[in-house]
Amino acid sequence: MATLFDVVFSGNDAVFGLTEQAIDAAIAANGAEKAVAFPNTAYSLPCYYGVTGTKVGTLGELKEALGVVKTLMTREKRLNDVFMSGVATALCAEFIEVLKYLDGAEPYEAPCYGHLADAIIRELGVPLVTGDIPGVAVILGAAPTAQEGVDLIKSYQAQGILVTLVGGIIDQCEELGYKTGANVRVIPLGKDVTAVIHVVSVAVRAALIFGNVAGGDAAALMEYTMKRVPAFVNAFGPLNEVVVACGAGAIALGFPVITNDQPTVDAVNGRVPKSLIVQEDVSKFNATSLEARDIKIKITNVDIPVAFASAFEGEIIRRKDMQVEFDGSRVDCAELVQTVDASEIEDHKITVIGPEADEMELGSKNSIVYVVKVAGKKMQPDFEPVIERKFHNYINCIEGVYHTGQRDMQRIRISIDAFNAGFRIKHIGEVLYSQVKNEFDAVVDKCEVVIYTDPAECTKWRHEVAVPTFNKRDERLETLTDESVDVYYSCIMCQAFSPSHVCVVTPERLGLCGAVSWLDAKATNELDPAGPCQVITKERVIDENVGAYEDVDEAVAKFSQGALEHVTLYSIMQDPMTSCGCFECICGIEPFSNGVVIANREFAGMTPLGMTFSEMASMTGGGVQTPGFMGHGKHFIASKKFMKAEGGIERIVWMPKDLKEFIADKLNATAKELYGIENFTDMIGDETVTDDPEKLVEFLTEKGHPALGLEPMM
Amino acid sequence: MSEFKLITTEECEAATERLLETGAKVGADSWQMRVKNQTPHCKFGEQGVCCRICSMGPCRITPKAPRGICGCDAAGIVGRNFLRFTAGGAATHSDHGRSIAETLYEARPEGPYKVNDPEKLIRIAKEWGVETEGKDIYDLSKEMGYIAMAEYGKVFGYQNWVSRAPKHTQELWEKAEITPRAVDKEVSYAMHMTHMGNSSKAEALIRQSLRNGLSDGWGGSMTGTEFSDVLFGTPKPVDTEANLGVMKAENVNIIVHGHDPSLSEMICEYADSKEMQDLAKEVGAKGITIAGVCCTANEVAMRRGVPMAGNFLQQENCVLTGACEAMVVDVQCIFPAMGPLSKCFHTKFITTDDRCQQPDSEFIRFSPKTAEENAKKIVRMAVENFKNRKPELVHIPELKAKATVGYSVEAIVKQLDGVTNSQVDVTGTTKPLLECITSGALRGAVAMVGCNNPKVRPDSAHIDLMKKLIANDIVIIASGCSAQAAAKAGLMDKEAKAICGAGLKRVCELADIPPVLHMGSCVDISRMMILASELAKDSGLNISQLPVVGCAPEWMSEKAVSIGNYVVATGIDTFLGVDPYVSGSAEVAGLLTDGIRDWVEAAYTVEKDIEVLGDKMIARIEEKRAALGI
Repeated sequence: MATLFDVVFSGNDAVFGLTEQAIDAAIAANGAEKAVAFPNTAYSLPCYYGVTGTKVGTLGELKEALGVVKTLMTREKRLNDVFMSGVATALCAEFIEVLKYLDGAEPYEAPCYGHLADAIIRELGVPLVTGDIPGVAVILGAAPTAQEGVDLIKSYQAQGILVTLVGGIIDQCEELGYKTGANVRVIPLGKDVTAVIHVVSVAVRAALIFGNVAGGDAAALMEYTMKRVPAFVNAFGPLNEVVVACGAGAIALGFPVITNDQPTVDAVNGRVPKSLIVQEDVSKFNATSLEARDIKIKITNVDIPVAFASAFEGEIIRRKDMQVEFDGSRVDCAELVQTVDASEIEDHKITVIGPEADEMELGSKNSIVYVVKVAGKKMQPDFEPVIERKFHNYINCIEGVYHTGQRDMQRIRISIDAFNAGFRIKHIGEVLYSQVKNEFDAVVDKCEVVIYTDPAECTKWRHEVAVPTFNKRDERLETLTDESVDVYYSCIMCQAFSPSHVCVVTPERLGLCGAVSWLDAKATNELDPAGPCQVITKERVIDENVGAYEDVDEAVAKFSQGALEHVTLYSIMQDPMTSCGCFECICGIEPFSNGVVIANREFAGMTPLGMTFSEMASMTGGGVQTPGFMGHGKHFIASKKFMKAEGGIERIVWMPKDLKEFIADKLNATAKELYGIENFTDMIGDETVTDDPEKLVEFLTEKGHPALGLEPMM
Repeated sequence: MSEFKLITTEECEAATERLLETGAKVGADSWQMRVKNQTPHCKFGEQGVCCRICSMGPCRITPKAPRGICGCDAAGIVGRNFLRFTAGGAATHSDHGRSIAETLYEARPEGPYKVNDPEKLIRIAKEWGVETEGKDIYDLSKEMGYIAMAEYGKVFGYQNWVSRAPKHTQELWEKAEITPRAVDKEVSYAMHMTHMGNSSKAEALIRQSLRNGLSDGWGGSMTGTEFSDVLFGTPKPVDTEANLGVMKAENVNIIVHGHDPSLSEMICEYADSKEMQDLAKEVGAKGITIAGVCCTANEVAMRRGVPMAGNFLQQENCVLTGACEAMVVDVQCIFPAMGPLSKCFHTKFITTDDRCQQPDSEFIRFSPKTAEENAKKIVRMAVENFKNRKPELVHIPELKAKATVGYSVEAIVKQLDGVTNSQVDVTGTTKPLLECITSGALRGAVAMVGCNNPKVRPDSAHIDLMKKLIANDIVIIASGCSAQAAAKAGLMDKEAKAICGAGLKRVCELADIPPVLHMGSCVDISRMMILASELAKDSGLNISQLPVVGCAPEWMSEKAVSIGNYVVATGIDTFLGVDPYVSGSAEVAGLLTDGIRDWVEAAYTVEKDIEVLGDKMIARIEEKRAALGI
């Protein structure tokens, strides 16, 4: 009688054989020197690199790597041998997949994604940390019926879980016309079972990027994925030995496998608690999987006729699918939080003043102003913008509703489907009410929402109330400088993912993820005094210019559990602040020009450093200090504190065009104020100028860029 | 994260060496010295061929003198000695159980002894067919205490606990005529059988050895365990520390030593009182530390998290620290050396039980009726003794390890419930453990039990075997001094998963357990019998088919032989690292290592090479797996 071990070993042998043939054939056709790589990653073959610490660049090296894989395939009757054979199977899958990318081929076409870029992983960092993405489902094979498969996917989506698909389930989605794509958190990887490696690769890179796991430290890698990557596998029967061997790899990484294939599993006595679970009823896959991976879904019951979940955050409503829209760029709109006295409002009162959606024409453009009035003993006006910034996220989580922009420039669309399901404007109020109460319960005791759709009211509210409020806030923000406040805040929200990273958040230096400003941190501290944001005093100055404080060092040492001893706030050379890995931008020194190059996550091209964003990003992250490289948020670039110790923003010599345009107004204003330079961004190179360091220096010389005259940084 | 490290045998030995230097200064004796004086041991004794049952001898068997004066051959003499050894152990263990039954009988709502786990009492009462409806719990505890005591002299029938064994096991016992009857009857029967001029047939003597053992494991010991739980609480996981470093120089240190929790529970209770804590401060101490030695340590550790100072061969070390204000003992495994040793220091050596009276001790008779008063007197005596400490003699080795202890069967099942999936599994069973075993994630389980014995480098066999087994994905359940050896080394620290094979490591992580599970004191080996029975019932297999074996690598007491007999008779192959004085008869040795397999589907293996012993256990486990096709 075959045991589970026998099946894994034999599945592993089979895949190894196929891989060997494929590599040999590729070498025969292209030669051993032929380059082999996945696109848009700094981690070579990420899984192989993670496990062995070796980067593979050519077919010849791939063949050598296969020899290393063979050494993992030991055959003692111990679980370690099974785990390692599972890992070996996964590595073989990675080899087979990378061969598909030879010669820059694009082997996957819509809807399949195949290999996922480093940038996608860095984007996933924040939502995974905050629990906005509470888990990652890997669905393998075809469900008993297409409907059951789609229902399962939908159930995960409704919980915000990121779903990846491999094999028959992809066809089942197509068959029923079910929408897939990264924006709705359903990512079809590929139809071959080997495509599963593309999600494993995400988990492995998460460990390398956020966990500071060194390539080759397989034990640390497996511990990281088990403890910190909330993934699980749903494998539909019939299972074959290859799938079982892949499953062993998943379990080795800590990801439980849930299957409906009772006969195959029981024939080999394969059930293992919390690891290999038989659930014959596919409608219970969701509940079984979540329990197996200890994923808790924060339930927010919102009384509206459509779904409310973070999976719908990225949903886009096209014009033809739209019932009505509201557009602050064309008509008067605004969104506003107002702190009022508790006696002035009635909790949970929602009023619509003006026409409802069913009184508006199909496809029409309308005005809207929603005012969320809050009262609470611990409420402070400084929290108003913090709450307000969340509206975008709240409204976007409504199925069939789309929101962009903020303040008086927001745009909202309600889809025909949502409208037909009964969704009305008053439900926006319901969502805002329930989410504000839910998330800010520590400061908001009472909350009332008034929504104006009457155009005259909207004009009045926008210009007489909202805009003056925004202006007042901006004035307050301008006076908020690092010098003007008494305390900074630590932020360790990322530690679930990046265990030794600590951000020090100051008014002029927001968290490097771009998501946590000093006000956010302050509010977070108020909301949860024992939570991720703690007060850091700044009483014991060591060096004001580089931003070194004993208080900061102590806090960083404490919150990094001793991993870090010193951090400066304003230097990228001396004890620079660490990063978790989910930063929006990375800057690195450019030695020819005495300057720095900045790349943002969205930029996929080459920089004058000879590195892409992914490669630059891989230099740091995971809570490690790498002098000369620093992760940061986009808005920090225009700060007067941006690498102030090295001279400030005049060191910036290159950044991608889109980023430059995004930040131009503020950056130019800062340059004007600090150095009296007009239109500073014109002096900064971008990819349309060059990605060659020598040509960049020529360009900078021509423009008279100030960095050329500065002291070398090294 | 710091690398997990065990405390090594070498480190423990170095600590002992340092303490012996103190001993030398004050002229103290030690077991290490006495071993030298007693070596070499009598070969006839070692082989079990010396008979002094009547006064015609002593007779001893040699090739030239193959029969004693009465005509008894080696098989008869070795068999009789073996049975008497067993009877001694069974009597001792079971009498401990009887004391617990007596305490249960005395339990009262106002204390000092109360019913701590009424659900368990009711569960047992129902099992025994005692009416529980509408009955006051203290009426029930009195009734059950009485019945439990009566089991020892039960006129007809078998031990009540037998009904807990799987049906197949009960049938085997019935067929082999070894189903245990009243405990006292089996002991008397054994003594009678071995009297001059009675049984000399090896097979009959071994059969009674098994039955007498069963009357312990499925009788007296189980009574001790189960009613201790009723009285003092059923153990659940609790964090503690182990090794001599748990004693604190600035505190009054009271060492509780022995086996019966009735005494130690009261001492702990009273030492915690404000009155005694205040008194300790008055005499210049910071507080009171209670630490355990031997099975008392196991009892109070698993119910209260009281730290464990050490196991059997560490008892003298506690006094040698110079910081032991009192060593309070009840019964069993107390070195008579403790009295003279305590006289070399300020330590009060306090005996409390009529069955364990020793020279050079202060005797304070402890009884359930006067427990509170007795305990107060003892603690007070210890605290007041703090001022007599000689600071120049104080040296406490810094060694100590973290341990999570308290895995009763109930606690194990609860822990296993934690890894079930409510969408597919039932709770309250051993099935998750069985799935781990049948899938191969775990290869099997070993019950590690037994004492220390100077014939083996202390603790080294326990620890080396455990390290080897856990590295091979074999989970360990441990009790008695074996459990303490594990705790002292750090094997009961959950972080010890770091030195396990991948399978056991994963199980430890998922179930949140250490790889070596502390199941209690030596009477608590009855817990292991219940666990094995549950595994058999939940899997539909016979106990003997489970990939589970027992092991006592450093055993020394008669109790250990009694235990070995009931473990084997329950269907669990048992591996010994010390020979049970049977090598003088090939027939007896053959029965024990092979012949009894026909009766109970299990037998002994004796192997003094510990490395080989480990290999043999792993091989046996793999054989059982192969037979099941798993």
